[in-house]
Amino acid sequence: MDGGSILESIGVEIIGVMSPVSICMLLVVLLVSSLSSPSSITSSSIRTAANLVYLETPSDSTTQKLQGALLNALVFVLIITAVTFLLVLLYYYKFTNFLKNYMRFSAFFVLGTMGGSIFLALIQHFSIPIDSITCFILLFNFTIVGVLSVFSNGVPILLRQGYMVALGIIVAAWFTSLPEWTTWVLLVALALYDLVAVLAPGGPLKILVELASSREDELPALVYEARPTVSRNREGSSLGLLVGGVSESSSVELQVVARENDTVGDSEHRVIQIGEDGISREGETSPTVNNGRERRSSSTESSEYSVDVSGDRNRQHNSHVGSEIAVDEERAPLVEMLGYREGTERGGSETSGVIATRGIKLGLGDFVFYSVLVGRAAMYDLMTVYACYLAIISGLGCTLILLAVCRHALPALPISIILGVVFYFLTRLLMEPFVVGTSTNLMMF
Amino acid sequence: MTVAAGIGYVLLALGPSLSLFVAVISKKPFLILTLLSSTLVWLISLIVLSGVWRAFLPLETTAWWPYGILILTSVVFQEGIRVVFWRVYKRLEDMLDAFADRVAKPRLFLTDKMQIALAGGLGHGLAHAVFFCISLLTPAFGPATYYVEKCSQIPFFLVSAIIALAFVTIHTFSMVIAFNGYAEKNRLDQLFVPIVHLVAGMMTLINLATGGCIVGIPLLYFMAMLTLLYCGQMVWKRLTENQSRH
Repeated sequence: MDGGSILESIGVEIIGVMSPVSICMLLVVLLVSSLSSPSSITSSSIRTAANLVYLETPSDSTTQKLQGALLNALVFVLIITAVTFLLVLLYYYKFTNFLKNYMRFSAFFVLGTMGGSIFLALIQHFSIPIDSITCFILLFNFTIVGVLSVFSNGVPILLRQGYMVALGIIVAAWFTSLPEWTTWVLLVALALYDLVAVLAPGGPLKILVELASSREDELPALVYEARPTVSRNREGSSLGLLVGGVSESSSVELQVVARENDTVGDSEHRVIQIGEDGISREGETSPTVNNGRERRSSSTESSEYSVDVSGDRNRQHNSHVGSEIAVDEERAPLVEMLGYREGTERGGSETSGVIATRGIKLGLGDFVFYSVLVGRAAMYDLMTVYACYLAIISGLGCTLILLAVCRHALPALPISIILGVVFYFLTRLLMEPFVVGTSTNLMMF
Repeated sequence: MTVAAGIGYVLLALGPSLSLFVAVISKKPFLILTLLSSTLVWLISLIVLSGVWRAFLPLETTAWWPYGILILTSVVFQEGIRVVFWRVYKRLEDMLDAFADRVAKPRLFLTDKMQIALAGGLGHGLAHAVFFCISLLTPAFGPATYYVEKCSQIPFFLVSAIIALAFVTIHTFSMVIAFNGYAEKNRLDQLFVPIVHLVAGMMTLINLATGGCIVGIPLLYFMAMLTLLYCGQMVWKRLTENQSRH
């Protein structure tokens, strides 16, 4: 009807980021709501880096919970900061191969062990008839393809995006097993950390990103690339309305350190360290345009988190080997705006304001923590889920627009997380009684 | 309510919106963004309203007038929000046009504007259905179902899905009418929307009487049909006018 309308071109990139985030959140909510209802009691005793200091029990008083949660969050953020600086150091001294392999290894372990345990829980919950050998082979294949797709260039972008979302889902599903107060405080703390690490001078992620862009190198991190899967002609980039063509990429880095210390009884120790630095920014070779049209407004946003998930999985699986796996995972979502012209694809006839963009990249960390928030909300009620979803998505939209306006590195977490938390509590405290009260009287408006 | 029944209720409430979404909205990213933001606006308005009314709830009385006041304030507030939404949209439209000029593309067509209005209305309707119907539906999966005392013939979830469908229709198309009315400065259209909204809201008061939903729901659907017909006729008129002008 209106083929040339600009409605079709505006917002393509924003939607390209929002839809995977939505899918990730949806799947986490489904996972949480299907798994948590029967087994909500059993998973309470998990000890991770996120609650190293304090283990929440429902009987504690409110102040105790708050203090414990604050301490947990503090320790967690400190760990993240340390790991991030370590990573920056490694990157600074060009241990790139080490970082890459480390990330491969950690992707392997995230997919294999954490993903495996989630699949196991699913199989048990839905009592899917499958024998262990088949299951193992399937899991192994899934993991291997995942590792290959995350880091090599020859894999279809769709597969890579799918695995990125899968990684996000798996990690987020693990995080939802944290106790309630700790989760909320942790989310806020991470949002603040994100703000500092990206914006403050000397913030680790800022350093990392500047380093990467000065080397014209890929960021050693896991990022979701929202590049168009099909090549379409992208005249007039969608953000261009406000932006004048900026693409944002954020990358996340996921580092998993698993160590096993026997807390219970037996003498099996394994120390597994998984570090995962995925670089999914393949397209970002230097722009081929030679004349002055190349414009690089690269601002990067990055954030990095590390999480220690240590689960006593042997407590669940076999009783006499007490082991704890601490998965320390660190992610750095980097949002980087690189707007430049792709001279090869486009004829030189562009108007000045429009720059081709490479598509937005969103850090896996953002995926995970958005999903953690929504998953935590799903444990209360679904009304809060809808409200939190809307809040997070609009926060993401605001971040993208802000990014386009400032052309400056921006953290992707704070706006969304703060909005999400605020909406969660508003919905829970204010809206739910109101809506339930009116609609059970069959009154609507 | 079993899973099958739940899916049925969801589709009953949101089926038409879903097909509208797939057919019109989903192909144009900007419309999706409009939809999301309009949903958010409606959610915010609901939160503000519930914040105001939180102190008085739950209403202990069996009298209908407190509920009447509640609905009156809610509708007035939401219509106020609609005016704000229009103002914002107007700004956005100018920006869009400026952007279209810059990239040498045609400005917004009449149909584009109507689609934006439709997406905005659908956002409102979607938010209504989600928060008043779906969010009560989803935690209730299980072997039993729930009946309200005042409307004991039909399960509560079915009633709420049916009512939600009527309201989704009203919200969706009254936004188109309202935007058109504001753009054309047509007093009748501008007044039609709040009146329909208010009347429809007041009609749900009938449900407070025992067995009232038998009467209230058909009346509600009458309002929905009225909105739909009015919107269709108005759009037809605009389009033919527009056609003859070219």
